[in-house]
Amino acid sequence: MKRAAIILVLAACGSGGNASRDAVIAAWKSGGLAPPAFTAVKDSPVGKDCQAGTVNSVDVMVCTFATADEAKAAQDVGLKWVGDTTGISQAKGSVLIVAADRKKADPKGDTINKLVKLAP
Amino acid sequence: MRKTAILIILASLTASAAFADDSGGNPHRYGRQVRFVGIHPIPKSEGGGMCNIEGPHVHIYAANKIEYRDHAGDNYFVGDPVAYHYDGPKYAYKGPHPIHVDAVVGGPDDVEYCYIEGPHYHYFRPPVDNDFKVVGDTYFYVAEPPHAFVEARPMYVGINATYRPLVYTRPVVEVDAPVGWIGARAEFVTPGVVVETPGVIVEDHRHHGREGGVIVGGGAAVGVGVGVGVTVVAPPPPSISIGVGVGVGVGGGAVIHEREHEHHDNGRHRGWR
Repeated sequence: MKRAAIILVLAACGSGGNASRDAVIAAWKSGGLAPPAFTAVKDSPVGKDCQAGTVNSVDVMVCTFATADEAKAAQDVGLKWVGDTTGISQAKGSVLIVAADRKKADPKGDTINKLVKLAP
Repeated sequence: MRKTAILIILASLTASAAFADDSGGNPHRYGRQVRFVGIHPIPKSEGGGMCNIEGPHVHIYAANKIEYRDHAGDNYFVGDPVAYHYDGPKYAYKGPHPIHVDAVVGGPDDVEYCYIEGPHYHYFRPPVDNDFKVVGDTYFYVAEPPHAFVEARPMYVGINATYRPLVYTRPVVEVDAPVGWIGARAEFVTPGVVVETPGVIVEDHRHHGREGGVIVGGGAAVGVGVGVGVTVVAPPPPSISIGVGVGVGVGGGAVIHEREHEHHDNGRHRGWR
């Protein structure tokens, strides 16, 4: 019984990250952005649970953390992932949204702004 | 022994370099990144127009020192976005005023100052308090300016020289400025050149300066006075000179006529006085 409870708790924790990320992606979709299927990023220096994709030709990575403080603490590392281009690394609760306009597809920053503003 | 010491120093220097990030010492950015917060103009060399990212973000171009202020390590734009084709919500102001940056973009408490002397726009309203009065849909700063506001003015008043030649649709303000308006205060009525010490720029053909050119007699001219009109250079003691025909009265209740230019530029207002 105790073991089952632990498994349940662990399962809930494990799905928490996905749930937050899914909520972010759902918000983007309902806000008019067209995020594709995000794929897991292995060994990302930004976080243990990161997925990346492209939204309106802007490279995007979404990482989930156990707490909002952890997500916030990872903002600076996210900027390293952005590199020498226009970008953001912004925590929204326990989710970190990192975006880099490497293809210069978002000259006025409208897509990047939406990525942050639409996220719950 | 000495060789060992040198080796230790070299080793520690190498180790420091290996662990240093590539941010030039700022851990909050990397490589050539420059941090911004809030919307701001994009340099023409990068395509021009406005960057619409409202939160903290990075670009690979610099922010100038006249139109930006530091807000917790980010560059925050304090100029008039309409001059750069911004077409979002905007609010008219007349004269210099404080900006509560934290109220606009978040972050720690931070009051910065806008030194644009004429009518201009920002994309934010001022806080609701007694420091501003709204007359004819225009915000006028009427409080006692903090010392820091006055003190930093020489550093930033040059923004007027930057904006004056820009051709764009400025707010048209045809109302009496309320009593206490900052634009009527002596410290802020300086459309001409502030002369610190007596002196006139004289071209002296007999006693050339170091470069064989112009000699500035008696002191340096500080401040900006581009396109204002006639500049009166005051005799000693140090004083403030005021451009002629500016249309600003000293002592409050100034009547401001802002339409001087509108009949000559098809509705696009060049200059602000």
